[in-house]
This record gives sequence, structure tokens and C-alpha cells, in this order.
Amino acid sequence: MSHRFLASMSALPVVIAIALLAPVRAAGQVQSAAEATPTVKTWTVPRTPDGQPDLQGIWSNGTLTPLERPRELAGKQFFTEQEAAEYEKRVLEHNNADRRDNQDAEADVALAYNNFWYDRGTKIVPTRRTSLIVDPPDGRIPPLTPEAHKREAARAEARHGRGAADSWEDRNLGERCLTRGAPKLPGGYNNNFLILQGPGYVAILQEMIHEVRVIPLDGRPHVSQNIRQWLGDSRGHWEGNTLVVDTTDFRDEIRSNAFNCCGGAGANLHLVERFTRVDNDTINYQYTVDDPTTFTRPWTVAVPLTKTPGPIYEYACHEGNYGMVGILSGARAEEKAAEEAAKTGPR
Amino acid sequence: MQNCLRGTTFVVAKAALVAALWLGVMPTVGQAQAYKAPRTADGKPDLNGIWEALNTANWDIQDHAARMGPMVALGAAFSVPAGLGVVEGNEIPYLPAAVAKKKENSEHWLTADPEIKCYLPGVPRATYMPYPFQIFQTPQYILMAYEFAGASRTIYMNSNQKSPNDTWMGWSVGHWDGDTLVVDVTSFNDQTWFDRAGNFHSDALHVVERYTPISPDALDYEVTIEDQKVFSRPWKMRMPLYRRLEKNAQLLEYKCVEFAEELMYGPLRKQSSK
Repeated sequence: MSHRFLASMSALPVVIAIALLAPVRAAGQVQSAAEATPTVKTWTVPRTPDGQPDLQGIWSNGTLTPLERPRELAGKQFFTEQEAAEYEKRVLEHNNADRRDNQDAEADVALAYNNFWYDRGTKIVPTRRTSLIVDPPDGRIPPLTPEAHKREAARAEARHGRGAADSWEDRNLGERCLTRGAPKLPGGYNNNFLILQGPGYVAILQEMIHEVRVIPLDGRPHVSQNIRQWLGDSRGHWEGNTLVVDTTDFRDEIRSNAFNCCGGAGANLHLVERFTRVDNDTINYQYTVDDPTTFTRPWTVAVPLTKTPGPIYEYACHEGNYGMVGILSGARAEEKAAEEAAKTGPR
Repeated sequence: MQNCLRGTTFVVAKAALVAALWLGVMPTVGQAQAYKAPRTADGKPDLNGIWEALNTANWDIQDHAARMGPMVALGAAFSVPAGLGVVEGNEIPYLPAAVAKKKENSEHWLTADPEIKCYLPGVPRATYMPYPFQIFQTPQYILMAYEFAGASRTIYMNSNQKSPNDTWMGWSVGHWDGDTLVVDVTSFNDQTWFDRAGNFHSDALHVVERYTPISPDALDYEVTIEDQKVFSRPWKMRMPLYRRLEKNAQLLEYKCVEFAEELMYGPLRKQSSK
């Protein structure tokens, strides 16, 4: 709470929001050192009545750690404690949408969502890793395969001559409120998840766009490849105390998801997620992206889920998508203005 | 979806037959609780499963005869099936001012019904749309996930937490009344409808749902609707909900936004672009 922006009056709503929404942690509690170190204390994983490790509750994956390691941090896998604090401060200042120090109109519009709307968290991951990608070791999405390069080139060619908003189909899946994808990466807000465990099922409600993932645990096979879904088709099983979720049958169009977990993977994506509860307030969560038609090797992301009091909000994305109407109307108005200018201009 | 529905009709129909027998024996389910449902670990009736209504309430919650559908080209395939209403007494007690609005909704169904735009359907409509929904039951939360539009709602059990804002799917607080799950739903906006016939409500809507197991594969679903801005008194709907018995039953995606985009944004598409 020592960050400068929090001290300003205008940031008061943010302080309240953080106080309400931030993960509850007992003061002084040692955060588990995640991936490598299993818990050493006497804590034992709570279990559901039918004996499964209990993952239930409302969790947040909000974090300031970026998916990929920034180029300027190449070679640096972990921050020291002091570096972490400095990084957090820098990112919070950079993200501070309540700044109005550059007062031209464009900068002002870009800050239209002021800090009130954001809930990214205020910390990097407890491991102090400099990227959410833990493998490959350089913390970057691996290079594309030659096939994927060719596909990208063909797609760029097909888009040639199209504007950024000729139709809604030129906008990304998130803007269209179709999906934010599964798993949903940490973002600016609504990073919350409700996990429930029923007999033979795990359900994960992603607060963002109210997407529910239903994960059967009964060993049934995946649906056929004729059924392609935005969130794929998930099956789960337990490996010791870890819930392993295997997902296939994705729609190829998830490639074009700007909010995508999986960096441009498509229909051949085989996603494997691992949920391990390591203390009362933390689930260590990892997922591996395997799409050999897109990436030269699989890659793995680790982001902890931290207990949060909730409630889950209704994120009615499509119902309030005035933005799409605005974007398309704006583009048509610009074209019309350009046409008019061309008629009258050169005279 | 239509195919999917047809494919499962036999199974559902069988469940319906079983349930109909039960209902025949016990016309007043609330009074004679002959059936004792299996229990969850905390001793509550186990409502977990995939459920679906088998009626035409989404077309019209009141009695209605079959009629031609809105698209000539679709002929008999997408016309309106007849149905016995699900409203107790069949009368909906609209205030005089609301009668005109209902009529107008009905006449402008194709442009005004939020279902057509793939909007969140609200409660209770989500329950009896012709798509399955799944109940995940725990002592603290019950999650209802609906196939239509990927809608969902979280029911907070025995909670006194208030809704942070108004919503499409309502703010649901639940408790158990014997073998009945009672859900009190408030904090609605005024945007959702009850059916394609234009039956509507205001943001003063208060819904009380009662889910009671009446056989291993059927629930009795009773809903009380209260809205002082639109109705002169509370009124009720009632219907059975059937378990989807297919061994491989699962919710599939019906993320319908993409089916409504042309309709909603088509006029804003760049003219030369296709």
C-alpha cells in the first residue's frame, strides 16, 4: 500500500476495491514457494466428502507477472525481493489509468477506463519469476513451425485490403464477446473463478464472460472431432493430489483470440492443465500447450490461483457490447468522411 | 440443436412417462412427500445432474394452439408447436397498463425478444428453454450452467450477502425447505422475457423457485412470480424437469453470439465487403 498512486484521493475507490477483492491472507503468512517446493508444514490438503482434494471456492489468478519474459529481462529468470518490489511499483505506475499528466485528447480517451475498473492485482507471482511461462527456460513462446509461418502468411494475404473494422469478423473474439478462451489468462479485471466439485465432475466458472467449463472425471472418451468448441472438450482425472485436465476438440478460430491462453494454437491444440492445492489460499496451477502444427515445442505456463472472497459478478459482455456498434459505426463514418473529402478535396 | 433434441426425445419421453405416472399418483407434490431422494454427503437431496424441461413454455407459457412460424421458407420444420400452458390457472394478472406492452412485445417478437439476440435469458426462462442445464450442488454454492448462451448463475446458500448490482440472471440465494431447494432471486434488470410470446416483467421482479425431487429422474419445478410494477398479484408456473439419461450426456456449447451478429451488426458492415 505504499505505492504513490494509492495515496492520492482520486484512487480511493481503488483502495476500496482492492480491500474488497484482494486475496485474503493472514498477515505475515509465508507464501508457498510454488513450483519447486512442496509444502513442508503440517498443512494437509482438505478433502471433499468423497475423498478428492478440495479445490472448491472462489479464486483469482490476477498478477502483474507478464506471460512472456520482457526482452530487457532476457536471461533473468527470477527477481530478487527488492527487484520485485521495484518492478511492481513500476508496473503499477505505468498501469495507473488515473493519470492525467498528458492531457491531449487521444491520451485522455486511451485512459477512458480509469483505475476504478481494473483489478489486476498488485503483486507478481510468489516465485518472483519474471514470466508466467516456466518452460522453455527463456520464458518465451517457442518459435512457430514452418507450417504455421506459411499459414500466417496465407492469412495475412487473405486479409489484404481489409480494414480493421470492415465487419465484426475483423475484430477479435474477446471484443465480439464470443469467448475469452480456456484457460483464461490473467487480465485487467474479472480474474475470478468459481470451482465446484460434484460427484464425477469439476465445474469451473470463469467470471469473465460467464464461461463455465464442465470437466467430467468418469473416464469417458472425448467427444468426436466433429464437435469443435471454443473452450474445447475437457476430461479430468486425479494424479495423487493433482487434478489433471486434458482438453482437445478446440475450434481452429481460437487462433485469432487476442486474449488467448495459447499463443495462436488452433484446432490441433492439446491442452493439459494441472491443479494442485498447496495451502488454504493457493492452488498451484499449470498448463501445457501442445500444438505441433503451430509450435516447435510444447510450452508451459504457471500461475497461482489465490483464494478471494467473491462474490462472482455477472459479466454480461455481449448484452452490453455498445463498443462493437461504436467501432463499426465509427469505421463507416470515417469512410464516408473520406469519400466526401475525396469529392470536394482536390478542387 | 433441433436434431440433437429429436435424437433425445425417446429417452426424455420415457422419463416423462415415468414422471407422469408419479405426478398422476401425487397431484400435490408439496403435501405428500412419498419420494425420498438420494442424499449428498451433507444429507441434502442430491440434485446434481443434467436436466431439461420438455414442454413448449419457451414459445408461450400460456395455453396456445399450433401456428405457422415466422419464416415461410422454414415451413413445417420451424413452426410453433401447440402446448398446454405452465401458468397456474393459465391467467397472468397483468396490470392494465402492462397489457398493451405484452401485446406490443408479442407483435414485435422477432425484433424485441432478447433470445433472438443471444442475450442472457434470465430466470425462470433459462430453466425451460429447449436446452439442457446442469446443476452442481455443494453446501455453500450451487452452480447452474445452462447450455443456451453459456449462461450460468451461482446460488449462494443461506447467504445474507446482497447483490452488488442488477443483473440479467438475477441474484440467487438458496435454502433447503425439507426436500425442496428454494431459491430466492432478485436484482433483475427489466430486459429479459418469460417467453417468445412477449410475456415480460420489470426490474421489480422477484422470483421464488422450488426444486423438489419427485423421482430419481424428475424434479418438480414451481416458480412464483412477483412484480408490483407489472402484475396485480403474485402468480405461479409449474412443470417437471427431466434428467437427461444418456450415458454420455454432457452440456455442449451453444455460444450463440455468432449466430446473432449478422442480425445485430449487419447494417454496419462495410458495403463493398462480404
